[in-house]
Amino acid sequence: MEIIKIKKSDWAGGIDKSRKTYHLFGPVKHKNHHIFRQLENNIYPDMEYMSSVLSPKSVLFPQSQKILVTSADASGKACHIFTPPEQDHTPRAVIGIRPCDAKAVQLVKLNFDTKEYQDPYWCSAFEATTFVGLAVNTPSVLDFSTSAGSGPFAQEGLDVLLVDCKDHYLAKILSQKGKEFLNTAGFNEKEDPKAADQVIQQMKISAEKAICSVIQTQHLKKKTVLELYEAPFWEDIAFSCISCGTCAYVCPTCWCFDIQDETQGKTAVRFRNWDTCMPALFTRHSSGHNPRGEKIQRVRQRFMHKLKYFDDKYDQGIMCIGCGRCVEKCPVNIDIRDICNLMNAYKPEKESDAGEIKGEIK
Amino acid sequence: MNTITKNIQELAVSLLRDKTVDIVIGFKSGTVPMSSVPFVAKTTEQARTFIWDTHCRLNLANYLTGRKEKIGIIAKGCDSRNIANHIIENKISREQLHIIGVPCSGMVDKVKIASEFTEEIIEYTEQPDSFVVKTASQTKTLLKKDYLRANCSTCMHPNPVIYDQLAADRVTEPLIENQFADVNRIEALSRDEKWQHFDDLLQDCIRCYACRNACPLCYCPTCFVDESDPQWVGKGTDTTDIRTFHFLRAYHCAGRCTDCGACVEACPMDINVRDFTRKLNKDVFDMYGWEAGLDIKNRPPLDTFNPDDPDEFIK
Amino acid sequence: MTEKQIKIVAFLCNWCSYGAADLAGVSRMQYSTDIRVIRVPCSGRIDAKLILAAFREGADGVWVSGCHPGECHYLEGNYYARRKFILMGNLMEHMGIDKNRVHFSWISSAEATKFAKVAREVADTIVPMGPNDRFVKKAV
Repeated sequence: MEIIKIKKSDWAGGIDKSRKTYHLFGPVKHKNHHIFRQLENNIYPDMEYMSSVLSPKSVLFPQSQKILVTSADASGKACHIFTPPEQDHTPRAVIGIRPCDAKAVQLVKLNFDTKEYQDPYWCSAFEATTFVGLAVNTPSVLDFSTSAGSGPFAQEGLDVLLVDCKDHYLAKILSQKGKEFLNTAGFNEKEDPKAADQVIQQMKISAEKAICSVIQTQHLKKKTVLELYEAPFWEDIAFSCISCGTCAYVCPTCWCFDIQDETQGKTAVRFRNWDTCMPALFTRHSSGHNPRGEKIQRVRQRFMHKLKYFDDKYDQGIMCIGCGRCVEKCPVNIDIRDICNLMNAYKPEKESDAGEIKGEIK
Repeated sequence: MNTITKNIQELAVSLLRDKTVDIVIGFKSGTVPMSSVPFVAKTTEQARTFIWDTHCRLNLANYLTGRKEKIGIIAKGCDSRNIANHIIENKISREQLHIIGVPCSGMVDKVKIASEFTEEIIEYTEQPDSFVVKTASQTKTLLKKDYLRANCSTCMHPNPVIYDQLAADRVTEPLIENQFADVNRIEALSRDEKWQHFDDLLQDCIRCYACRNACPLCYCPTCFVDESDPQWVGKGTDTTDIRTFHFLRAYHCAGRCTDCGACVEACPMDINVRDFTRKLNKDVFDMYGWEAGLDIKNRPPLDTFNPDDPDEFIK
Repeated sequence: MTEKQIKIVAFLCNWCSYGAADLAGVSRMQYSTDIRVIRVPCSGRIDAKLILAAFREGADGVWVSGCHPGECHYLEGNYYARRKFILMGNLMEHMGIDKNRVHFSWISSAEATKFAKVAREVADTIVPMGPNDRFVKKAV
């Protein structure tokens, strides 16, 4: 393991050097909040940011992405043949991604990169990306990442972990990709790994201590699906929900999309757009039947998927990394922390038949 | 506990106890500072969790659509106007409702408050005319009247227009000289500047439809954005599609919008979507003298006509 | 000529203006060729959605024409339409579309002369403005 020291006075110069090889993405102040976006040549990532209003998932999974294009122009070669549009797979680096958001990318990977199928768009973007994370020294009051399988200094999914030490960063190299990025940027002042790691460890401990928000997940795995599914609390939780998709759109781990075709003149394009399980349209069949036509079914689906089905299927913990975005942005303050704790503590009043089927529903 | 909260709880408890209603819809406190949660109480214990403060920004009329029970509902001025709308549009019947009116002194703008601080707000406590905001390193007392939401600061109907009981004394209804100053500002722009203004405004829209869903007026079984044959708007992030959505959403609220601000409150990207509806509110007021939801007798302006309506614009 | 031809979509009421267009045609009256007619059952049928759809698909102007007040085939469709149109037009202008790209008229089926005259007026206002680039769906 190597740890590099980056003086803040050298930071901008290194970023500029890296632009020659990488397309950079990073947090930028925009109106009242921060967003993650591609950085033009004179724009630098704002490393003082707390959190971005939308997660950086869009770097790999844009809200709206062309996936196939065709034409009805009979004179062209590609007439009536759907072909993927050209895509830019040159190296890109995400600067300043929060450790929990980087872990979220790993969870999203479970969906797009499976044994049976590798999503070409997501996977090639992932391959091209270097994740340069920024550890969180002062976590938000909404941050519950430590109890959601991540943490302010977590390393999973990162190629480099930057730790802000006032006048310099300590950059912990976590992969070959990360090493190459730092080389390209010209950051090569090696620190004594032991001493530097100790500093990082100390900061990690104090950052983790500062996290005041915690969820309980230890019993979720043992619960049976149908017991939770039939729990009485869903009705109360669902009442206030307005079925917008805010929670899913701001969530770094939500990966659902919708396929849409659009035509114009002789060109037709197939897009995939972010979609969310909150509106009824999401599951409406062409027959008109809707298996999740009621709001309570959809609200339950969101939390059962994140906190139960996901772990049952992948055995990778819950599908939430504790960034707190949905808690902050939900217009009616539906709080996943409360729901998680409710589910975790739930004991059905009486033995039901449902309890005998052990978590096999997929 | 403030007196309005106490009164609301008492009234709600007695309604449920006497079985005057099956449920009461109100607000309970949220889990983060400056939030509240629309909440339905079915038992007297639940009714004791109702609260009232300056964060009850959403419009509870939104939760009435299509309900069959006998309902008690807490309503501030704008909520009551939307309830009137709902009655006019046959979405609920007056007999089904027991309205606990709350004369309202305005809700505060959480975005405006947050923008006063560089740090995160960790605590918010309310006093009669002011509130105390705490961050990691400072505590500040601010006056409510300086942080009212834009729609509350131009509101001339803070008292409920229909109600069965009131949870507090009526407040004085302010007379605002030019309640459409914000619209005038946009009207004064050149055409290109107007276009640019709305371009900037909509830059962040993520098409979550929270503005539509938080609005009590938007109850169509299938919204035009969800129609696929014909498809009126594309579903991606094309700027024309986004603008078309916002145009039509606002237009569908013409003559019905009470300027309750629920759309702005719900928007995760803090877009002032009222810039669209406000123009329509101004026009229906100027041309037809109409303000939505003030009673349950008159038909809204697009549901009626007058042979002498302005038509100089028609050839 | 590489210049884009201006397209004006005219929504004409079946019971009046459409008939007027017909009569103007058989009477060999001259008016702009930039106008594309869509027959609708009543001017009251015209919704902002249709006007925006026309712009979205590349129309440079829209013209809606119905029956004179008091002469609606459905008695009062045009009265409702009138209220909708004025709000719609104002909101368009408010958002930065030139109001002169959208026109409204009342033309009875006997008024072929008025039809041709208004058609010329509409085209004479819109054509000099050139192609419209607002509310147009960009190339996919």
